[in-house]
Order: sequence, then structure tokens, then C-alpha cells
Amino acid sequence: MFASTPASNPAPAAVASPAVTAPRAIALVAAIEIAGALFLRQFLLAEDWRVVVALLVLFGAALVAMQYRPALEARIETAFADQARFAILLGLVIVLAFPFVVERSTYALHLLVLAQLYAVLALALNFQLGSANIPNFATGASYGIGAYASALLALNWDVSFWLALPAAAIVATFFGFLLGVPSMRTRESYLALVTIAFGVVIHQLLNNLDFTGGPNGLVGIPVPELFGHSFAAPLVIFGYELPSQANFYYLSAVLVGIAILFARRVHDSRVGLAWNAIRADELAARCQGINTTWYKVLAFAVDAFLAGFAGTIYAFYVGFISPDNFTFLVSVTIMTMVIAGGMDNTLGVIVGAFLLTLLPEKLRAFSDYRILFFGVTVIAFLMIRPQGIFPQRLRRYGA
Amino acid sequence: MAAQITQQLLNFITLGAIYALIAVGFSLLFGVLNIIHFSHADVALTAPFLALAIVPVLGGAFGVAPLPVGFALAALLAVLVTGALGGALYATIIKRFRNAPAMMALVATVALGIVLRELIRHVFPNGSNPHAIPRLFTGSIDLFGTAVPLFSLVAITVSVLCVGSLFLVLGRTRLGLHIRAVSQDRDAARLMAISPERIFLLTFFIASAIGALGGLFFAGYAGIVRFDFSIDVGLIGFSAAVAGGLGSMPGAIIGSLLIAGIDTLVQATIPNGASYRLVFVFLLVIAVLVFRPSGLLGRTVVEKV
Amino acid sequence: MRATDAVPVVLEGQNLTMRFGGLVAMAEVDFTLRQGEILGIIGPNGAGKSTLLNIITGLYKPSSGTVRLAGERIDGMPAHRIVARGIARTFQSSRLFGDLSVIDNVVIGRHAHMRSGLLDAILRRGRAQAELHDAAERAATLLKAVSRDLYAQRHRPAAELPQADRRRLEIARALASEPRVLLLDEPSSGMDDADTDALMADIRAICAERPNLALMIIEHDMRLVASLPHRVLVLDYGQKLAEGTYEDVRQIPRVQEAYLGRKVVRHAHA
Repeated sequence: MFASTPASNPAPAAVASPAVTAPRAIALVAAIEIAGALFLRQFLLAEDWRVVVALLVLFGAALVAMQYRPALEARIETAFADQARFAILLGLVIVLAFPFVVERSTYALHLLVLAQLYAVLALALNFQLGSANIPNFATGASYGIGAYASALLALNWDVSFWLALPAAAIVATFFGFLLGVPSMRTRESYLALVTIAFGVVIHQLLNNLDFTGGPNGLVGIPVPELFGHSFAAPLVIFGYELPSQANFYYLSAVLVGIAILFARRVHDSRVGLAWNAIRADELAARCQGINTTWYKVLAFAVDAFLAGFAGTIYAFYVGFISPDNFTFLVSVTIMTMVIAGGMDNTLGVIVGAFLLTLLPEKLRAFSDYRILFFGVTVIAFLMIRPQGIFPQRLRRYGA
Repeated sequence: MAAQITQQLLNFITLGAIYALIAVGFSLLFGVLNIIHFSHADVALTAPFLALAIVPVLGGAFGVAPLPVGFALAALLAVLVTGALGGALYATIIKRFRNAPAMMALVATVALGIVLRELIRHVFPNGSNPHAIPRLFTGSIDLFGTAVPLFSLVAITVSVLCVGSLFLVLGRTRLGLHIRAVSQDRDAARLMAISPERIFLLTFFIASAIGALGGLFFAGYAGIVRFDFSIDVGLIGFSAAVAGGLGSMPGAIIGSLLIAGIDTLVQATIPNGASYRLVFVFLLVIAVLVFRPSGLLGRTVVEKV
Repeated sequence: MRATDAVPVVLEGQNLTMRFGGLVAMAEVDFTLRQGEILGIIGPNGAGKSTLLNIITGLYKPSSGTVRLAGERIDGMPAHRIVARGIARTFQSSRLFGDLSVIDNVVIGRHAHMRSGLLDAILRRGRAQAELHDAAERAATLLKAVSRDLYAQRHRPAAELPQADRRRLEIARALASEPRVLLLDEPSSGMDDADTDALMADIRAICAERPNLALMIIEHDMRLVASLPHRVLVLDYGQKLAEGTYEDVRQIPRVQEAYLGRKVVRHAHA
């Protein structure tokens, strides 16, 4: 039942790509990246709900344009592929400079930290759901395990943030394997239920055990320090003072960078191919020599590993955690980010994560109605562009 | 001691009967449409709210006494309206995801569930707060020397009747034949002049109406209803259907009894059991699926090569 | 070239029995396959032909009996390890990785010849990339050899290929694992005569290039069965009915009966 859709997307790599000259490609890449950054800035700083809605409409219009003009999409795609190095460099500059252009808004930076952590979670799940089409409704649980493991280490044994980070990821990975083992035998909806059940069990245990603090969770998680600089202090760069959230902005940006690097390297490797083969046809994959059981368990472990990192940063960022931060609905949200963003497409998944993190926050103007709007938006997106914001691409080899 | 055990046994069967009303819907919809309708429980739990909303209307328009006749009538109307709601959701939204990858349909219906819950919260007066459900069946009846609460008796009877007639409809009637035909081979059914669309719509109506009964009884059992009850009910109903084997009606019933059983057992025997009931319920679900990967009564699909 | 007793046996099945619950899908079937030999498997639908392939490739574990590849027992081994030992197959209803490119399909066929795992991909990227590019190059060469046309379409999603090309791609994917034994499950099904002729030429070319490759072909198309295989094994109701050259086998009345259907034969004899 979870068989993948036939690649009905207008695969640009296969179509003879329209030739774009180097300067024009560079201009196109620069225009799109800067426009994207500007869009994000306006979206973050918008206070009037009408501006938010107008920006959303603009975004929707861009998607509709891409949907009906595949040639446009193909041209953008080719430009980015041809000028990959320039695109990455400019992207880095934009990420580094971004905190300077949000008018020292602590709220905007806070949202960016959350959005980046969700981007990591969505990329983590993408290894599984996007590459191998293995549903996992327990990413939120792995996120929680990472957060609780690091917080407990810090609170009970004074372990520093920098040590707690890898330690928590290892603990989360262990639980990922633990979940992967009963999942090996089941498939499709049955597998989905195993992961749902695992998520509920973890949530309920966190909620009831004494050493996790029960429903009140854990408080007083210490602020990380780096070379004597406390992450609670404002960040001064070239004499320009950024709010303290900027510390965590850069930290989570590094994690997003690592996750992207992971994603790209794994995608373009034997492992990524094996996962794709499992997604397309598990039985045929076995008959090509792929140990499907191992690769499925591996997908669970990778998902949990990255989610564990994100959980640690979250715990040390907000300073207190409770079971309600890691419910079934958190896992569902992460699933939605991957599916709405575009399965197996790194950029799509990140855009999906940003959109779905920022949307409910920016809809606060509608106060109580924001969750309702969130649900409606998700359904609308799935109906308008079922293949996700940016669909999966074919690999390219050498020339 | 013996009386206590009898009491627990009654709780267990009542709860199992209520869960079964929800679980058969999950299983039926999966069997016929091959879709996981994750908002099924959210649809089902609109029924108690609808009933509460209908009571004053009945009272105002026809001067029907609010209790118990008024609420009973309102509940019956709510069952029909909920069935129609399920059909309408299918026709407007779920239909679009019928041929989409299963994960997409699942996420879309999860989002649909969020929308339904939030709508109740906002549209219903004081929607965020719990609402008391009038007790229709109070008192108890003496059966073989034990006092059986009337509520349990009614819940179990209705559940057995409903699920029983579902069996009869599926197995013995023309409609059931058509439903089975469509679930086995849509295209072949179309060739036999059976309109799959009509069957899908009807299946949604039936599943949602039966679910509505489950929702009403669940609310009656708890004595209250709140907009987010459907999250837990949905998880449990879905688990019961999957653990029993998706698409199998007897499986859904066995799954419901199993979950109700462990639920009651944990609450009765373990100190602080109420807080750990979901842990045990879902550990059991995992255990069942480890040993029976396609559920207890699910057909093990041998892939044709 | 004709396989003789002097050529070593590469694949051997003994006493193979397969039961599904009460149903006996295969009963005590023996077979041998020598290096460079083409063995045709024929029989009516439900005779157990695919069951035999599934047992050999490890998708089914036989209820009893043994399968040996170059003397080593492989029955009961998981499917992915059997591929690594040197047995590759195609499927009756071609099962390509439809949303992946043609070349990716062939690269995945080389999975067992690559080593890099997750940590290599992340930490030793150069090595993993070199290995993958090497595989991609070999895959391109293989595609070119199997069909120029297919090579030209190597960056298209496999699902977009026409039927005949999909069969070719499936064969190329199977060959990518450099098998000692290649199992083809009804390669000509759904093809017209012209396509079948092209397919037969393809198979001959593949064998000419790989003199040691042993082939097992399940087929219904009698033109193919008559001309390609050195030997034919006839299955009916899960049992071996006959074995020998096509000319010999087709003379056996029981084979005619099983294959052409009881009625037809009775009419023919009347």
C-alpha cells in the first residue's frame, strides 16, 4: 500500500534542459536566493495578519506557477545544478548575515531557532519516509529522548552541553534500533502503528516516571557555554550586538548544515540507492542483493540519531522540557513537513519545515483559530500540489 | 472479591463493546477503500456534540421533554447526521486521496481530524470545556444474581446488534455483495454495473454512523465529552482494528476486546494503573504485531512473484 | 555450444518440495544446470515454474530438498545473500524501480559488488563516490552493450519506458550483478513476434559474450523454447514430467497432454 507513486513529475533532468548561460544562471540563482531570504524576513517581521496572508498568497502563486510551467522549474533547477558552488556560497552568506537583518527581533530569532530544529527533524525523517518510504510516527519521541537524555545528564551529573550532545544522540540511536527491531517484520499500516505505539509509550513513560519529573518535566537545564561565552549573553559580532537567541540560531544553523551534508552524501551513495530501491519495490530490492531488513533498521537509527541532536539543542535552548513537547502530534507535524515539502528532496523538506513551523506562529493574529488554519492549510497544500512543494529529483552521474 | 471481579468483567466487556463500534469502522473503510481514515474517531465524536446541540432545538420546536426522550431522540438524529458528515467528508476531501500514496492519505486525514476537533472547539459554545452528557440509562438490572448497570447492558446490546447487522448486511444482502465486490476489484465491479463511488459513499455513511454510536456511548461511559477525546479514542480504535487485522470485522472485535481487557486489567491490578494504562495497551499492540505482523486475524499477504 | 557432461554443474536442485499449508506446489523436483547451458522450463499455469525460481532465489524456503550453487548449499539462505553468491533473476511482471532513472536501476543491480556503508558515505565520501562512479560507468557500458536505445534513455525514469525496453532493462539490471546463473521468468510475456525475435537475439548476444553464464528460462512462447534452450524441463502440478531436448520432449504424449490441454490432445488422437 505504501508503494511509491510513479514518477509523474515533469522530471527536468530527463527533458533536454534549456541552455542557460553562466552569467544568467548566476543571476537567476542569486535572484532566487535573495528573494527567498527577503520573503522569509518579511514573513518573520510581519505583524499585520493581512501582510502574512498576502505573503502566503504570493508563495502559493509561485507554487501554482511552477506547477503549470514545468519549463520554468526546469530552468531554475538547471541553474542551481550548474552553479552549485556559487549557490552554496551565497546561501552560507545569507544564513550568516540573516540575524543582522531582522531588526534585533528576539521573536524572529526564536522562530528561526525552532524552524531550524524542525528542519533537522524533518531531514532526519526524510531519510526514512522520503528515501525508503518507511512511515515513522515516532520521530517526536526520538526528539524527546534526546532532550530528556541530555537534560538528565546535565542536571544529575553536571555533564556539559558539548558532551551531552553526542551522548544524547547515542541514547536516541539506541532507542531507534530498539524501535527498528519490532518494525522489521511489519509493513505499511502495521508498521505505522508500531511506531505510533512506540511514540505513545515513550510519551506516557515520560509523563509518569519519577526521574523524568512526570507531567511537570525537567526545569533549570543549564545554559551552554563556549570558550567562556555564555549562550544566555548577547552575541557581539563586529561591534553589532545581537540578542542572545542568535547564539542558538548559529548553533542550530550548524546542525542544519550537518544534516544537509548527511542527507546529500547519503542520497548520492549506495545506501541512498538501496533505500530508494526499497521504496520502489521491496521484493525486487531483495533480489538485487539488498539486505532490506538491515537497511530498514538503519533508517530508524539515522532518524533517531539526528532527532537526538535536535532534542538536545531544544532542551538547552528553552531550559525546561515537559512530555507535552513530544507528543504524537509533534511526530505527525514532522511527517507533514516531509510530505508537504517534497519526499526525498532536501530543499523541499527544509522549506516544508520552515513553513509549517512559522505558519501557526504567524497566524497568532487569529489567536485560537490558528490550529484550525494549520489543518486547513495542510489539506489545501496536499490537494493543490500532491507531490510536495519540491518533488524528488533523479540523480545525475558525472556528465 | 467475587463481586469486584464481576464488576471488572462488566467494565471490560462494556469498554470492549464501545471500542468495537469505533474499530469496525476503521477496518471496514480500510477493507473497502484501502485507506486509513485517521479522522474516523473525530467524525465519531462529533455525535455527542451534535446530540447536545440538537436537544434544545427539539425542545424549542416540538416541546419534547429534554430528558430522557429528548436526548435519546437527539442522539438518534446525531447518528444520522454524523453518518452524513462522514459521507460528505469523503465526497469533498478524502476522495481526492484515494489513489494517492497511503502516507499522504494518512497525513491528510490526520489534518482533517485536527480541523474537525478545532471546529468543534470553536463552533460549539464553550467548546474548549468538558460537557456533561445526560445519563439516559441509570440504575441496574438483576441478572443471574448480579446487578448489571443498565448502561452497560444497553451499550453491549447495541454494539452486538450493530456489529451483528453489519455482518448480516455484508454477508447476506445485495448491498453487502456489492461492497465486497468493490473491495475486491473496483474495475470488475464497475463492469458488473456497480458504481464504486456510490458504494464508497455508502460505506463511509455506515462506518461513520456506527462510529457515532461508539462516540455517544464513549461519552456516556465517561459522563462527559471534550473536543480532544477523539485523539485517544482514535488511537485505540485504530490500534484495535490493526492489531485484529485490518479489513477483518471479527479481528476488529477481538482487537477491541483485547485492548479493553488489558486496559481494565492494568487499572484493576497495578497500583497507579490508571496512569500506566496506555503504556501497557500500546506495548501489547507492539507485541501482537511482532508475533503476528498482519494482525491477529489479518491475512498474511503472500506477494505473488 | 552444447553443454556436455564434461562441463561442471553450476546449479543443482535435489528433491525439492514446497508445501503451502495443505497445498503441494512442488513435489520432489530434481534439476541440474551446467556452465554455459540454457535450460528451458515449461508447463501450464500453476505448474510450479515460478515456485521453482522463488526457491532458487531464496524468496521461498523449500519444505524439503536442497539447492546447491557450485557445490554450496544455498536453500534457506536469505535472498540478498544468494544474489551475492551469483544468482540473478528477472520477474514475470517486470518489477523495475519505476521512479528511479534507467541507469540507477542498473547501478542498484551492482549493489552486491559495492561495499560502502552509511559511515563510508558520510565520513569517507571520496571512496564511496569513487565506488559509485565506477559502478555507474560499468552500468553505462552494460546498458550500451544490451541496447543502444536503452543507453540513450538512461536518465529517464524507468517507469516511462515501453514494454520491450523494460524487459531489456530488467535483464541488464540482473546482469549487473555479474551472475553465474541468470533466471528469466517469462521474458517474452506481453511481447509481439518482432519484440520476441529481438529478445532472442539479445539473449544470444548476452550468452555469446559470457560463455560461462548458465541460463534458466521460464517460457510459454514455443518459438523461443524451440530455438534457445539446450534442454527443456517440463513441470506439471508441481512435478517433473519430462526432461530432455525440445525435440525429444515434445514427442512425449503426457507432455502434449499437459501442455496443450487434455481436450485438445484427446481430439487430436480421436
